[in-house]
Amino acid sequence: MKIVVTVKQVPATTAEKRYTADLRLDRASTESIVNPLDEYAIEQALRLQESGAVAEVAYLSMGPESAAEALRRALAMGGEEAYLVTDDALAGADEWATARVLAAALDKLAPDVALMGMASDDARGSLVPGAVAAIRGVPLLSYGSELSLGDGVARVRRLTATGFDIVEAPLPVVASVTDQVGEPRYASLKGIMAAKRKTLETWSLADLGLDADAIHGAALTRVVEARPPEAKPPTERIENLGADEAATKIADWLAARKLI
Amino acid sequence: MSNHIAFLAEFADGQPARSALELAAGATELATAAGGAAVGFAYGPGARSGGAGLGAAGASQVVVLGDQAAPAITMAGPLAAAVGELQPRVLLVPATPNGRDLAAALVGLLELPAFGPARAATFDGGKLRVEQATLQGTVITVNEPVEGAPQPAVVMVLANTFTPLEGGTGTAEVRDAPAAGESAFARATITESHPAEAAVVNLEEATVIVAGGRGVGSEAGFAPLHDLAAALGGAVGASRAAADAGWVPYQLQIGQTGKVVKPALYLGIGISGAIQHRVGMQTAENVVAINKDPDAPIGEFADLFVVGDLFAIVPKLTDEINRRKGR
Repeated sequence: MKIVVTVKQVPATTAEKRYTADLRLDRASTESIVNPLDEYAIEQALRLQESGAVAEVAYLSMGPESAAEALRRALAMGGEEAYLVTDDALAGADEWATARVLAAALDKLAPDVALMGMASDDARGSLVPGAVAAIRGVPLLSYGSELSLGDGVARVRRLTATGFDIVEAPLPVVASVTDQVGEPRYASLKGIMAAKRKTLETWSLADLGLDADAIHGAALTRVVEARPPEAKPPTERIENLGADEAATKIADWLAARKLI
Repeated sequence: MSNHIAFLAEFADGQPARSALELAAGATELATAAGGAAVGFAYGPGARSGGAGLGAAGASQVVVLGDQAAPAITMAGPLAAAVGELQPRVLLVPATPNGRDLAAALVGLLELPAFGPARAATFDGGKLRVEQATLQGTVITVNEPVEGAPQPAVVMVLANTFTPLEGGTGTAEVRDAPAAGESAFARATITESHPAEAAVVNLEEATVIVAGGRGVGSEAGFAPLHDLAAALGGAVGASRAAADAGWVPYQLQIGQTGKVVKPALYLGIGISGAIQHRVGMQTAENVVAINKDPDAPIGEFADLFVVGDLFAIVPKLTDEINRRKGR
């Protein structure tokens, strides 16, 4: 049984971010990390490997050459090998193009489970898992708070609006998991040293049998404007008041806005 | 290609989700600008019997994808077939897990441009423009399909972006989606279903949310928040810290890995306002925070920030609201 975890390199959550003049994220200006939500997918895969349900864990990323750092960090947590798809034609890739490329790479790697984080920290569309499943023609098990494997099927526990379901599908599948799978482990020093010797292969679009035309020149959407959020009126503060008075003031504030 | 605007409408027990009513209003607005009709793609238990009712929400037609209880993703095949038949300009889906899954499947199956989570979608001079907050809300982008992009554009819409139409009386014409081919998505099945735990409401449907965080301190500490929510006709939510501590079920978690909400009023009680929580509620129309820490980050983006003891203030506020409502 083999799991391939997809890993995205993203700007650090709390970093200052800006767009360049050509309306793309200025990645050069920010510190980059492994998408925090992908770390839960890595953790889930490694737990399944430790339990004996999975023999091999590999990682797959698409991004600039610097995304190799994110893959090294994943390898430092565990797993056997990593693959990076990098190509100038992929700059500005949208969800569909990203999914198309990942699907082609997964066709080569042929995992039983392609495991993904529930969203990326930067874009938060959550579209890639479902789009990859569609392109590969395999079932999707999404938003799992736990993934289990057995008897040729994968199973997730998935929260519904008010309760939860157990959803199951025959392998191979694409699955995505949430932060409820358990806290991701830290890479040990030994893990970091070991990661340096693990296989990290780089593929171009041509290595996947794709070209810029096959991915519609990377994007079907474009950003036409990027601006800071609307300035809100300054925060009104209520301080140093007794509870009665504070409650009255809050009620007045709500009433003035017709909220009560 | 038509100028119709389609929207996804999830049903349970014959009733449309609030998101369906909101998207019906949004689709109606866009369809008026585009010169087409609003068409609902309905699925879930009771979608066939309840579909006509979407007429009152603005839909002129409803296409039923399926009305059995099954994972939403299994509707991907019928959805693709319905899209192929109608050829809408735009498809609006709710930015919920089910909505996103179906949007993703469609994007993969039909090679479509995708947008969102969107906080506004309009036609400007015949062009679709979608506004979204990105990079943890630090940047607002306006996006459009590239020249010659395939249709429909798929737009994931945040809750409370559009307001359901009121007082509508129309009836939508209901038909079934054309037969769909074999789809791998249909191989997912629900093997166990655990319904609502007590006191769990669907936060995405709430227009007032009273959310508690680490400062609430315990499960019992949430009791006054439930009372306040009841007084306001709202629902209780929580930060990840409160859900992780087991004080409330995870279904109530708001934030990056929980629900993304956009209520008319959000009250953050004992919530510091870390970025992971903020991305789940920053589009709320009115934000009130109560926190004993005058330097809590939530104080920087709340509309009203009350520094004080939540355990003293919240019950008084509940009483005051009940008094003003004559209860």
